[in-house]
This record gives sequence, C-alpha cells and structure tokens, in this order.
Amino acid sequence: MKQKKTKKPILIIANIINVILAIAFLVVGVQAIEELKFTYVEKDTIRPDSLRSYLERENYGTVATLSHPIRGGYQPAEEDLDYFLLGEYADLLFLKEVFAETGKSQTAQDCEARISEIRAQIPEYAPIFDKIDLSAKNAIPE
Amino acid sequence: MKCIGCGGEIGLTDEFCPHCGRKITETAGFRADLKGYQEKSEKTKKGLAKTLSENVPMLISVVVMVVLLIGLGIASYINEEAYHFRSDALRKEAKKNYETYSVEIQKYLDAGDYTGFAAFKENHNIAEWEEPYDDLRLLWEINEEYTSLVANVESVVMFGPEARWYRPEMEVEYCQDAIRDFYHEYEYRQDEIENDTYAAYIHDMKREADAILKVYLGLDDEEREAFLESSDIEQRAYLEEVLIHETEEN
Repeated sequence: MKQKKTKKPILIIANIINVILAIAFLVVGVQAIEELKFTYVEKDTIRPDSLRSYLERENYGTVATLSHPIRGGYQPAEEDLDYFLLGEYADLLFLKEVFAETGKSQTAQDCEARISEIRAQIPEYAPIFDKIDLSAKNAIPE
Repeated sequence: MKCIGCGGEIGLTDEFCPHCGRKITETAGFRADLKGYQEKSEKTKKGLAKTLSENVPMLISVVVMVVLLIGLGIASYINEEAYHFRSDALRKEAKKNYETYSVEIQKYLDAGDYTGFAAFKENHNIAEWEEPYDDLRLLWEINEEYTSLVANVESVVMFGPEARWYRPEMEVEYCQDAIRDFYHEYEYRQDEIENDTYAAYIHDMKREADAILKVYLGLDDEEREAFLESSDIEQRAYLEEVLIHETEEN
C-alpha cells in the first residue's frame, strides 16, 4: 500500500521531467539543425553594422578594409550590398595607386573600370563617392 | 511407481489405477501439494500481471526519459561541434573544387591583387596546411602580414572631410606594428622564400608593400630602410607626424 502511494507522485515528477526534457530537446534540436545549415561561401564574417558605423564616421579606409571579402567572392545580403560596394570602391581607389606605382598598369586599369562600374551601379551615393575620392586624394602626402 | 493392487505402472498424481481401477490413497499427499502449488502459481501469475500493469506508465515514462536524454545529448553534441562539422564540409568542398579554385587564385596572383587573393582564400575555406593547397602555405603566411599592413595603412590614411577619428595614437601604433611585422617576416624567412614555388609573388608582394609606404607614408627606398632601422619611438613619431598631422590639416 505504501509503495502504491509513493508511485503516483514519482510518476507525476517523472512526467514533469519528461515535459521539461522534451522542451529542452526541441530547443536544442532546432538550434542544432540551424547550426548545421551553411553555404559553401562564408556569409557571416563581416558585420554590416560596423560598416555603417565607419561610413557615418567617414573612416573610409576602415570601410575599405571591412569590405575586402567582397573582392574574394563574398556575397553580402541584398540590404548590405551598397555598403560593401562603397567599401570596395574605397579599397580599389587605395590599391589603384599601389598597382600604378609597381608598374601593373593592366591591374590599375581594371581597378579604374571597376570603380566606374560601382559608381554607375549605385549613383544615389554620389555625394559619398565624392567624399571617398577626396579622402583617397588626401591620403597621398604632398 | 507400481499399483499395490495389480502391480501395473501408475503415475505419481493418478487418483485411480489405470489398470485395475483401484483408488490410490498412497499419493494423496502429493496430489494435495500439487493443487496447493498450482493455486499459488496462479495467484503469483495474477499478482505479477497486476504489478506489471500498474508499472507500465512508470516504465513508459522511464523509457521516454532515457530516449529524451539521449536525444538531448546528441543535439547538444551537434551544437557544440557544428563549427567543426561545417569547417570540415567546407574544406572538403574546397578540395573538390581544387582545379577551379586554382585557376581563380592564379588570376589574383598574376594581377598582383594579394588582398583579393586573401579574401578569396578566406571565403572559400581553403586550408593551406593540407593537400592539395599546401604549396600555398608560405605565400599565405606572408600574405597574412601583407593584408594586415594594407588594412592598417588604409585605416589610417583615408578619411572624409568630417571624419571622426577616436583613437589616432592607438591606430597609428597598430599601423606601425603591421609594417614592422610584414618586413620582419619577409626578412626572417628569406631562405624559405628563395626555395618556394611562389617566391616571385612573395617578392612582388614586398614591392607592393614598398609602394604603399612610398605612396601613402612618403617613404622612398632609402627612407624606408632608415625608417625600418630606426627605434620604436622614432618610427612612431614619424607616423604620427605624417598621419595625425595630415588628418588634422585636412
């Protein structure tokens, strides 16, 4: 009789534990499935928030640095693409001078072509492009 | 056992002799015991069935708990190791695409676009420490320093007209470290570089680094050598003079 009396609360406790375990399993299971989803080109190495913040602070060199991945096949999310293109623009302006200095005229020309392409792709950023142009010009000491 | 009436063979639990029909009284004790055992056995069976049926919910609950605990353990393990699973899969993909990626890498190298090469390698999870990309190891290691130099110089020279530069001294220090690290790595590993398949590209990377210092920091060949040989304080003073002073003027 005593055994019977203790069985019922034990069963209730076990069921409560099972419900908690089931919830935990669902949460961890969904997380695990999410973790295993990926693409063959990394997409989460750069935080676009940083890009926006440096753009606002007009630190175009850092924007260029953070945008390096786009020149290696990185595909940013649609809403972040403009920021990356602005960074790529600044990066190419910087590198163009280096390629010209080392005699890589073809690479420097390719940079020029890509620079024009980016300007044409997002013409609404013309004022920022002008500021980046100025920053690239000022970067070279007289 | 034999019947004491006819001598015929009888069983231990027979009540009458099958040969002469005599009532067997000698084994009455056995028969009574057997009946008692059978009744007991029935009771035990019923009791067992009852106990089992009472414990089925508990049993199910325990089984479910064990299954959930195993599932939770597996899911937690996957969560913990997901990064490695992903990395392994990505590296395998990079190995599978070796031919395509090699052509792309060669394009970056031929163009002298070493930061583009670094970005391509990072984005495509190319592991330079294992086959078939291991011949890129030295080039990659020097390229890491070069990319850092480019990034650090870029960060301290390109500012808009209303730029806010919060920690100029610190960033100039990072820039100084990046320059020193690249040239140190290049000098220190000369023997390895000379014997490397990609030596020509490594030397070209150094020429680009020289060009960066010349174009953006105003250091020609002689001045660069003097800069690299100068003390830590002298280097810092020069960079602060060129970079911070220039920015303030702008």
